[in-house]
Amino acid sequence: MPQDYNKDAYPEPPSRTPMENKQTAVPNPVVLITKVFYYTVDLPVSTFRGIVERFRGDKKAYYYHQKFRRVPELTQCQQGDFLCYYEAEMQWRRDYKVDQEIVKVMQNRLKACQQREGHSYVQNCQKEIKQFNETSKAFQSRYGDLGAYGSARKCLMKQKDRMMKEAQKE
Amino acid sequence: MVGMSIFRSAAAFTARLNPLKRTSQSSNLLSRAVARSEQVVVRHGSHGKRMFMIQPSSFYDRRFLKLLKFYVLLTGIPVAVFVTSVNVFIGDCELAETPEDYEPEHWEYYKHPITRWIARYVYDSPVKDYEKMMALIQMETEKAEMRKMQNEVRQHMREKGDGPWFQIPTLDKDLIDNSLKSTPDN
Repeated sequence: MPQDYNKDAYPEPPSRTPMENKQTAVPNPVVLITKVFYYTVDLPVSTFRGIVERFRGDKKAYYYHQKFRRVPELTQCQQGDFLCYYEAEMQWRRDYKVDQEIVKVMQNRLKACQQREGHSYVQNCQKEIKQFNETSKAFQSRYGDLGAYGSARKCLMKQKDRMMKEAQKE
Repeated sequence: MVGMSIFRSAAAFTARLNPLKRTSQSSNLLSRAVARSEQVVVRHGSHGKRMFMIQPSSFYDRRFLKLLKFYVLLTGIPVAVFVTSVNVFIGDCELAETPEDYEPEHWEYYKHPITRWIARYVYDSPVKDYEKMMALIQMETEKAEMRKMQNEVRQHMREKGDGPWFQIPTLDKDLIDNSLKSTPDN
């Protein structure tokens, strides 16, 4: 079975919440809205789903996560070996998609942290902010500005350019 | 018959001349075409003033919308029923770890049952597509190599001046009959 979500990245709020120091006698509208939502939307939908699940019975089908083998990259290909180029290009595209998803996960963590902390997220979420900044900077330096027709070759040229600039700086 | 038509036309003529003055009720039977518009009495059957709202015709618009609704729902409803029944009775698949020594078929990487069906019966497997693309690339590289070699060989032959491609076949010199020019006095 797939693992549950990473409990460290999305910590749950403390179970012993402090006593509320309510200044007004007005009931919390959020509590009211959640109760209304539960009875009007959540319960009917869950019962419907229960009925539907009974229809399905016990025959369950599974789907798996596809793992691809690593192939030689563009730098390890002989010149003129177009088959090697094609395989390297496909691998680069898969890696590009994976990296996009990584950045999205970092964004989600930051958003969840901000939601949890409320107004004090600036000092409490430093770890998430740092992680997100690092990953997005790395993504931008590797894949940014490649354009709509970005390919492994263009990415390699960009990397070469970057290395040349770094060498010039020293 | 002719006399009757004369009476009828006379009654019509008199009715047209003086429509307000009805000579007799029998003239109504004779005259068919009588201008009655000036004599119309507006009778309100209700209490208020009913107006005839003059609007442009909405017939064409309503007809278009009816037809649109009909043709969209003609296939829309069966498709919706089908998809709903698939989702209710078959349902999505669950994510599971790939068991050891088991290579899942290419359609077992998708979640929704309709996507799985399409991947299984309609599309080629992605491995096959990959291999097809690689086969095309291989053929094109071979063609490119052949053309390159051909060009190089042609260039060499042209430069050097000899080479099978730049030779014009001529007859064998032993076949030439030199008897015509072999002696100076011919």
